[in-house]
Amino acid sequence: MSYQTYRLWKALVVIIVAVLVGWATPAGYAWVPLPAAAAAVVIMLLIRRGVREVVVDERIYDIARRAARMAFQAGVLAMALVGATLLALSYGDYPHLETAGFTMVYTAAGLLVIYLISYACYSRKLGGKE
Amino acid sequence: MPRARIGNRIRRLRFERGEMTQEELAARAGCTRQTIIALEQGKYVPSIELAFKIARTFGVTLEEVFQYEE
Repeated sequence: MSYQTYRLWKALVVIIVAVLVGWATPAGYAWVPLPAAAAAVVIMLLIRRGVREVVVDERIYDIARRAARMAFQAGVLAMALVGATLLALSYGDYPHLETAGFTMVYTAAGLLVIYLISYACYSRKLGGKE
Repeated sequence: MPRARIGNRIRRLRFERGEMTQEELAARAGCTRQTIIALEQGKYVPSIELAFKIARTFGVTLEEVFQYEE
C-alpha cells in the first residue's frame, strides 16, 4: 500500500468514527464512542502494517512533541486563569460558578502533577540525574 | 551572538548519485520523504542517528553531508 492510499484510509476511518460518535451520543448510545475508538485504533494499526514506506519518523515525533508541549502550556494556563476567574466570581454574585471553578483549577493542578511525575521519570531514564 | 545552523549537501549528493529520488533516499535512510524535503530546505536538523544513516547511504562521512556553520 502506498503512503497516499494509507492517508486516504486514515481520513476515512476518522470520518467514520466522527460520524458514529456524533450520531450515537445524542441518540443516547453513550457506550458507542469507546468501542468505536478502540476499533479505529486497531484498524489504523493494521492499515499501517501494510504500508511499504516509512510513515512515522523522528521528525513526526518532534512535531508531536512540540505540539503537545504547546497544547499543554496553553491549556493549563487557560484552565488555571478561567478557573481562578470563576472562583473569584463565585464569591460575589455568582455562587453557582464555584463547582466549575474548582473543577478547572483542580484539573490544571492535576495536569501539572502528571507533568512533573513524567518529567522526573524521563529525566531519570535519559540520565539527567546528577 | 551569531546564530549557528547546520547546512547540508543532500540535494547535491543525490544529484551526483544519478539523481537518486527522495523516496529512495528516505527508504534507505529509514525516514519519510517529507523529512528529506524538510532537510533539503534547511527546515529541519536531523538527529545524529539519522545523520549517520544518510551519510552511510551516500557512502561518505558525516561532515561531507552536514556542515556546522556559525
